Amino acid sequence: MSEQLNNQEDIQDVAEMETDELSTIDRCLTFESAGLILYISTNNVIEIINNHSITTLPLMPPYIKGIINLRGQILPVMDIQQRMGKGPTEFTGSACIIVLDIDSVSLGIIVDSVRQVMDIDLKNVRPIPLKHQQKLLNGMVTMEDGSVFMSIDCQALAVPQ
Amino acid sequence: MDNGMEGMLDTYLFETNSLLDRLDEMLMADEKIGDFSTDDVNEIFRIMHTIKGSSAMMEFSAMAEIAHHIEDMFFYIRDKGIDSLDPQHKKELFNLMFRSEDFLRGQVEKVESGEALDTDIDSFAADINNFLKKISGAPAEQPEESPAAEAPQTHPAALDHLPDDKEAVCFLHIFLEDGIGMENLRAYMIVNAVQECGIDLRYYPENMETDSSTAASIIEEGFFMAFTSEEDANKASDVLRTQNYIRSYELAAVPEPEPEPEVPAKEEPVKSAAPASAPKPAPAPQKPAPAKQAAAPPVKQNLISVSLMRLDSLQNIVGEIVITESMVTSAPELNQLSRDAYDNFMKSARQLRKLTDDLQDISMSLRMVPISGVFQKMSRIVRDMKQKLNKDVHLTLIGEDTEIDKTIVDSIQDPIMHMVRNAMDHGIEDDPSERIALGKSPQGEIILSATHTSSEVVISIADDGKGMDPEKLLAKARDKGILTKPESEYSVKEALGLVMLPGFSTNQEVTEFSGRGVGMDVVKKNVESVGGVVSLASEYGKGTTFTMKIPLTMAIVDGMKVTVGNSIFTIPIANIRQSLKILPEDVIRDENDNEMLELMDSFYPVVRLHQFFNIDTDVTELSDGIVMWVETSDRSFCLFVDELVGEQQVVVKPFPAFLNYFELKNSGIAGCTILGDGNISIILDIQSLHSAALENA
Repeated sequence: MSEQLNNQEDIQDVAEMETDELSTIDRCLTFESAGLILYISTNNVIEIINNHSITTLPLMPPYIKGIINLRGQILPVMDIQQRMGKGPTEFTGSACIIVLDIDSVSLGIIVDSVRQVMDIDLKNVRPIPLKHQQKLLNGMVTMEDGSVFMSIDCQALAVPQ
Repeated sequence: MDNGMEGMLDTYLFETNSLLDRLDEMLMADEKIGDFSTDDVNEIFRIMHTIKGSSAMMEFSAMAEIAHHIEDMFFYIRDKGIDSLDPQHKKELFNLMFRSEDFLRGQVEKVESGEALDTDIDSFAADINNFLKKISGAPAEQPEESPAAEAPQTHPAALDHLPDDKEAVCFLHIFLEDGIGMENLRAYMIVNAVQECGIDLRYYPENMETDSSTAASIIEEGFFMAFTSEEDANKASDVLRTQNYIRSYELAAVPEPEPEPEVPAKEEPVKSAAPASAPKPAPAPQKPAPAKQAAAPPVKQNLISVSLMRLDSLQNIVGEIVITESMVTSAPELNQLSRDAYDNFMKSARQLRKLTDDLQDISMSLRMVPISGVFQKMSRIVRDMKQKLNKDVHLTLIGEDTEIDKTIVDSIQDPIMHMVRNAMDHGIEDDPSERIALGKSPQGEIILSATHTSSEVVISIADDGKGMDPEKLLAKARDKGILTKPESEYSVKEALGLVMLPGFSTNQEVTEFSGRGVGMDVVKKNVESVGGVVSLASEYGKGTTFTMKIPLTMAIVDGMKVTVGNSIFTIPIANIRQSLKILPEDVIRDENDNEMLELMDSFYPVVRLHQFFNIDTDVTELSDGIVMWVETSDRSFCLFVDELVGEQQVVVKPFPAFLNYFELKNSGIAGCTILGDGNISIILDIQSLHSAALENA
């Protein structure tokens, strides 16, 4: 009797695993900023651009770098390193701007370098234990090689502080 | 005038078709779920209101009447709430609405193909009225007392002699072609055409515009225009030659007891039996042969609708072409060309430059339309209402050539129309003696004006009529139960604001033109949908002014480019009084070291843009840079910048939504613009710069 029940549960578990597996894998773009490896769902990423001249806007918080002319569209650009409370990103050869679309709010973020696009299983993402100190990150995941990736909270990014 | 009429017809067809499309879409969606949403009921009501208004204006009376009946029905439904209908009624309502839509579409198609419109609409109108009675619980009357009931009313039948007009010196007696249909309206159109040319006349039968039964007598006896001078009559007969459907006309002087048979002096009976092709006889008038409304050559729309998205992407591509072009023409590799080859290259490059400039101009202008189209419609409305309401009103138009983004024009046209109608209907006094008693000119005045400020289009509609009585408004609002706090707590301004609430109307009677209180809530909704505000100022006894302020989501501004540090700013030229170089000793300082300059015997404060915006620059001495003396409506001050770059027309682009949070608008920045070389320049808003830099400092 009890064995049967267990079996049934097992079957359910397997079924859940299967459906979950379909829905929890997300293609993500990984990049580096502020010494961390971060990722963001490719659903939010429009493109990656280099070497754009940024027009500074007066009277803005320092992390808003200004605006750029992206093929006729005015795009605000933010330095996420500064947004996370650190110094400005240094413009080295690898620094670039990732253009995001978060609930139809367009936004560019400056990052140190872009790594690659990879599949991340959302099931493995754990919350960050230091909850109240996080402004922009809302999850972390350990990869097979032991490195830790952090997830950017898009919603928080789209709301200016 | 004919061109104007044609333009109006185009617009009318275009608008009505899109309204009907919208209606269709809504009906289909609603039928699927078997119910109307409250929003849709309001929307249908508004659509019918607009169709009624514009059809009446174009004199398509059948359409106006059907739309009027449907509007009545939806007025009832809106009032009672759609839920008061049982499912069976709703089903019937859907069928009725689809029938109505088909009917209206049929009429529009007839207009397009130049056929005569249906005149027999009584049974359909009765159907609508019966349905309304059914849902409102009143017994359905079979023999509907519709406009047909007016028909038996006897006319001054004897029109074979000249009408009784003592002032008239001479008459034109006009016969229309046989079998053209709707003779009374055609006759009225002809009268209109003559009146549009500034000729003063009266016409008989006087009621031919509104009473379709006069058509019979016009067929039989022709109709008359009466003139006070022979000169006018001669001018009028010139106009008549440009009109269609006239079989013949004759000039008759008053002393003659009988109209002279065919004065051959100037008339040439406009022949052309087949109305399908109506080329004018050889001595055609200077005007192009007019294809009149409902004229036989099919009227096809000359307008097409293009989605704004496509226009946007066109604009972006053009912008890129311009940038790429300058990249190509300034490529360093060009220096390796031989001198001759380089000259040749530059010659072609200049030509390319000219073409891309033209392309850019055109693509920019695609979205911009002058507001004159809307204003012209208003003068037409005022003219018609003047006659109907028997009020003497003069409409003054100011700033007709103000250019506005097409999307904005669309959303402010209805509001302006409602406000002008309100001003005519409720604003201006019915009786000129009331005006004289108040020391006003007997002729009422409505001023419609449009202006650009640096960041907004301001459209105001001012009348010098009765004004609004806050007490009356409050009493009315109390009756309607829309007060939200005790009456005594309402300030005058709040009381005036009541007018904008849905369902508020100060007029007891519903008239053809206005008065259901749809007006002002539509106005508010439409203006707010483009981010604008409506404000209202009214002094009891002196008049009312409505002001709409609409942000320029996209407008072309003549700007002066200046630099501060590495940034390029654009100052709207309209705000610039003068640019000057000053000497250190010209500067006056107050005890806080605030700088001032004396210009034309007044003192003006100096705002250092680099200080205010915190920009690093090498130019910190007033004598090294340039001082721009700027002003807005009532403020004037000096801006200190590094350098003048030059003048340029720029397209104002709003900042992305993300940056709204920072309230740039309150810190002197109106928007930005993309310069020819792809750089971004920030457009200053002088008004808010003044408040931010000087008032709150």
